[in-house]
Amino acid sequence: MKNVALACIAVCLLSFLNSCSHPKKNSPDGSAVNNIAVIGTGADLETINPVFAEEVTAGEIGELIFPSLVDADFDTLQGALRYSPMLARSWEYSPNKRDIIFHIRAGAKWSDGAPVTSRDVQFSYELYGDKDLGSVRQDELDGLKKESGGKLDIRKCVEVINDSTVTFHFERFSAAQLSEAGLPILPMHILDTIPRAELRNSTFNRHPVGDGPFSLAEWKQNDEVVLASNRTSVLPAPAKLAQLVFRILPDHGSRFEALKSGEIDLMTDLDTREAIELSKSSTTVRVVATPMRRYQFIGWNNIDGERYAKSNGAIIVPHPLFGDSVVRKALTMAIDRKSIVNSLMSEYGREAIGPVSPIFRQAYNDSLQPLPFDPAAALSLLKKEGWDDKDNSGILKKGTAKFSFPLTIPSGSPFTLELATIIQKQLRDVKINAEIQQVEESVFWQQVIGKKFDAFIGGFEVPLRLELAEFWSSDLKKNPFNVVSYRNYRVDRILSETASMTGGQASDRLWKEFQTILSSEQPCTFLFWEGNVIGVNKRISGTRFSILGTTYHAWEWNVQ
Amino acid sequence: MGVERAIKSFCSLMVIYTIKRIATAIPILFGLVTAVFLITRLLPGDPTLLFISPKVPASVAVQLRKDFGLDQPLFSQYFDWLLKVPRGEFGYSFTYQRAVLSVVADAFANTAILSSVAIILEIVIGITVGAFAAQFRGSFFERLISMSSLVVYTMPAFWVAALLLLLFSNILGILPSSHMHSVGVEYMSAGDYWMDSVKHIIMPSLTLALPGAAGLARFVHTQISSTMKQPYIMAAKSFGLSRWRILLSYALPNALLPVITIVGLELGGLLSGALVTETIFAWPGIGRIAVMAVLARDYPLIVGCTIISGAVVIAGNLAADLLYSVADPRVKVSA
Repeated sequence: MKNVALACIAVCLLSFLNSCSHPKKNSPDGSAVNNIAVIGTGADLETINPVFAEEVTAGEIGELIFPSLVDADFDTLQGALRYSPMLARSWEYSPNKRDIIFHIRAGAKWSDGAPVTSRDVQFSYELYGDKDLGSVRQDELDGLKKESGGKLDIRKCVEVINDSTVTFHFERFSAAQLSEAGLPILPMHILDTIPRAELRNSTFNRHPVGDGPFSLAEWKQNDEVVLASNRTSVLPAPAKLAQLVFRILPDHGSRFEALKSGEIDLMTDLDTREAIELSKSSTTVRVVATPMRRYQFIGWNNIDGERYAKSNGAIIVPHPLFGDSVVRKALTMAIDRKSIVNSLMSEYGREAIGPVSPIFRQAYNDSLQPLPFDPAAALSLLKKEGWDDKDNSGILKKGTAKFSFPLTIPSGSPFTLELATIIQKQLRDVKINAEIQQVEESVFWQQVIGKKFDAFIGGFEVPLRLELAEFWSSDLKKNPFNVVSYRNYRVDRILSETASMTGGQASDRLWKEFQTILSSEQPCTFLFWEGNVIGVNKRISGTRFSILGTTYHAWEWNVQ
Repeated sequence: MGVERAIKSFCSLMVIYTIKRIATAIPILFGLVTAVFLITRLLPGDPTLLFISPKVPASVAVQLRKDFGLDQPLFSQYFDWLLKVPRGEFGYSFTYQRAVLSVVADAFANTAILSSVAIILEIVIGITVGAFAAQFRGSFFERLISMSSLVVYTMPAFWVAALLLLLFSNILGILPSSHMHSVGVEYMSAGDYWMDSVKHIIMPSLTLALPGAAGLARFVHTQISSTMKQPYIMAAKSFGLSRWRILLSYALPNALLPVITIVGLELGGLLSGALVTETIFAWPGIGRIAVMAVLARDYPLIVGCTIISGAVVIAGNLAADLLYSVADPRVKVSA
């Protein structure tokens, strides 16, 4: 018996000791061990290849490994994107401004020593545009010049002039041109040897060869992704940090504890309570909020989602409860958005009046006032529309129909549940019954995109180019992100006209009109704008948290 | 010669018994995996949604479903998969874009380390505390252990983890709150590296071990208390042997036999506990892989995790039965 027990213990200890076998490495450069910044992130990556990378962290890592022709920055004073050279040392427009000629920077090399040429640029765009590969960035090529019949021939619209010159041909001059020419560039000499059908599962996606300020040093599954400074990079320079480590901590609470204890240097998406706690009591962590680009809203399905889904989009009829804009207006007036912002968001939120972010200073309609919180007026509006509580049951009725519906929210988000509970209570005060229905997140989005819901609470991050057609255009099949199925032909015209403009007063006027229409029709109840609230250890210097991403210009970060 | 023959006969009995148990385990595992295979595919949620934006043309989603083999009828998917299993092919993980076996093997090694340490802690703490409680029968100390072990036994893993994190990481600041190693561990000296590993494993292994240890302590306490009433213990006492000698030499070894069975059954509990513990402490083991696989609707990986977990539980039970018959000569396995 004793021997058996001892043998068991010995086996267990041996397996633990074996795990501790020490593969000591030499530090990458003298002081490197102390020159490491650690970012806490919630989930492991699926791929680093920008052709397929869908998640935010994978996208940010991809941009640090594979820089694009141009470096984008967001001008917070003007509320617009600005571009500076990156892989392209310069560029010039053709006289009609439909073509841009890029001159590739000399000396740019992939980490395996091969030179970066204009053929890499063309090849990368071929990958992004390959219908069979199904790149998530496919729609970013919409502005490139198409052949007769609408077919996109990348070899013609991204034309290689010589090894250091490449010309992009666009359909028309627009503000989006440089953005469309700004996708990450990939190494042709490696990826061209992999059959396209195998590219999604290729080892390159986990062991990439890049040319940016960082290269991938190690990717430990479900544990951490380690980027190391790429000493040969000229795009724009090797990172000052020896390593930038993305540690995977799935539990938000554990991530926050790790930030406070100094095990990680940075975490995003702090909630308001955490931000306030750190601001008040932490001596090592500072809190930074990026400009507000994300809005939360209650999506009222403007159409009968069941019938729409069953008919495969052929039958579009108004929703029995939310099809009428007067009812939607009453619902918004029944919800105290200001107190929600004050209690849940504090200084990190701002009441929303529409889907145009305040970051777009020229286009934002600051003359619009939010609808007042007025439950009595809301009840009166609903009464005019035939909703009444004649039998004093506590729920409004119209004929035999009760004003009762499921309010769908994604599960696993205490914040959204708290928000939903407040909204449920406020709707109850105007005799409307909202049953909170928590649904697992992937199912939630499947239902929302498929329009199989009555009402939900969700959020969208708006694009940095003010283009909102995909969220508000009436063609529901073409624009799956018009989740509330809003349809207004004047809005369609505005969206179409602004798409062909490059900013300016006329465009701003149209955007203001757009916001006025949405405010009057309330396709959904806009709740609040929020930025990304970041906690960062004070030992990290050189950070510039941009609206463009947490690791924006991370090659300039350093450890003090 | 007689002893040799007896040993040979015992060993052959054990081999036959083991083979029989493995043969019985195969249909159990098969049933488990079949149920999981079918249930996961009936869950709402589409794995392709995670890989492609809704803006991408529907044809791409169709192609991806084809690549994943999801365009086939359910039973065709099942039989295709089943035919590959004997060749060691458990499919291809959608999310990791690697063979399931390789993903699960990496993660399982980490879970094995954590579970091994947890099980040692559970046995050591459980037996020690249980024996002490029995030794101080009727005292305040016994009542304290009895009550506190009941409290700890009923604590869910996430609560134990939260308390440990608060104490050791937040207040005292002596233990790291997550992962198997610190950042930059590869540049540490061998001693520091080893110490770093120990520091990282303490809280997750205690989270796994403490509730089980509390249960074990209560069990050992009861066992020893009843053993202490046996005539041979009375005889030992009449010979003037010390209390501790009686406990360690006579009462404890006899009380410990059923512990083997309990520990064997605990393996399943450790694996289910790992789902929560590994998520909270960011331990890159099979528990985390399983949670992620379910959320991502990574069907092949879910089934892979199920096979491994099922096999471990069955193996644990079998090992407990075999050990029991080795430890107690009165118990004979029957071929």
